[in-house]
Amino acid sequence: MARAFAGCVVALLVLTGSASAQWITIRLPRTPRTADGKPNMTAPAPRTPDGKPDMSGIWTRVEATKKDNETDNFNLLDWMPAGAQIRMRPEAAAVYQHRRDVLFGGGRPSEQCLPHSIPDAMLPPVNFKIVQNPDLTLILYEEFNHFRQVHTDGRMLPVDPQPAWLGYSIGKWDRNVFVVETVGFNDRSWLDDTGHPHSEAMKTTERFTRIDFGHMDMQVTIDDPQTYLEPFTATVHFTLQPDTELLEGICDNEKDSDHIVGK
Amino acid sequence: MAVIRVGIVLIALGLVGESHALAHHSFSAEYDSKKPITLMGSVTKVEWQNPHVRFYADVKDQTGAVANWEFELASGTSLVRQGWTRTSLKPADVIKVEGYLARDGSRLVNAVSVSMTDGRKLFAGSSFEGAPKQE
Repeated sequence: MARAFAGCVVALLVLTGSASAQWITIRLPRTPRTADGKPNMTAPAPRTPDGKPDMSGIWTRVEATKKDNETDNFNLLDWMPAGAQIRMRPEAAAVYQHRRDVLFGGGRPSEQCLPHSIPDAMLPPVNFKIVQNPDLTLILYEEFNHFRQVHTDGRMLPVDPQPAWLGYSIGKWDRNVFVVETVGFNDRSWLDDTGHPHSEAMKTTERFTRIDFGHMDMQVTIDDPQTYLEPFTATVHFTLQPDTELLEGICDNEKDSDHIVGK
Repeated sequence: MAVIRVGIVLIALGLVGESHALAHHSFSAEYDSKKPITLMGSVTKVEWQNPHVRFYADVKDQTGAVANWEFELASGTSLVRQGWTRTSLKPADVIKVEGYLARDGSRLVNAVSVSMTDGRKLFAGSSFEGAPKQE
């Protein structure tokens, strides 16, 4: 089945060079290379001076095999094993069905350039950059210039914080896995573009594993007993975007929300 | 600005694959994959911004009436990564657009491909990954 894929779109027009090309395509000195000079995507994962895997880099998720063919929007189920279910409480199921089947995914916060949730911010094919430092890891989302802070200075998760779109995150290491726990979400974001809801009680646990230079996996577990009957886990694969930089993605010309009509 | 000939032609395009809305908004909540459209017109304005690049073109229908249509493309960041610049499409360019009509009946199209009248294709892009693909 053919799919249009933005990253594979071929620009047939003869384009003139531009200064931006020197920013979008830049030969970074830390990129390992094959004999022909291309980025070596299967080179060993880089490590920090203290020996931990270094997650730093620009990443984009690998498209998942679509499992929910009743909607054209990304669904967390796409990143779960075949046959897996996300079992919702009745009131949450009603919200979800309305978003999925009546609104067709319309009405989600990102229409108005508000944040996607965790993990939804990493499910569309958009770039994000991880900047790993000893006490703080930053996750910078190109879309809308949003960011997260993952504190690794030993602090505990906050108790009853002011609800936030992307919550409050701390990170720790489980051998070679970077484990990010997040609480303190508001209940306005969607877990995916199809419309899985969540409450302020949600806790997410992301387990990032950098497999090699060019590949990273993330298992995310959603634990929200006010919304779901049991925790569930999705696995997202990412590919490094070598020799490039993030671009500014400030949303300064939003004009779609007035045209969203749903079904 | 001269308005060129046009015909608004609803054509039966082969649709393959499913449509995945990109991050910003749902494709199917705004556009109708069952209403492909081909328009020809003269570009009047380009907005090289995020979350989508947009351009506008004067289009003449079969009765001779002229109307200004809005066309949505991918994000500015996405198009730049595909090699486009803000001058790839300019006012007064004469173009043919293939895309999908907005559900709300407005003169808004999700552009899947944009071609010059001499056949050169400007982009086969869309504001959506996996928007219904034309064969």
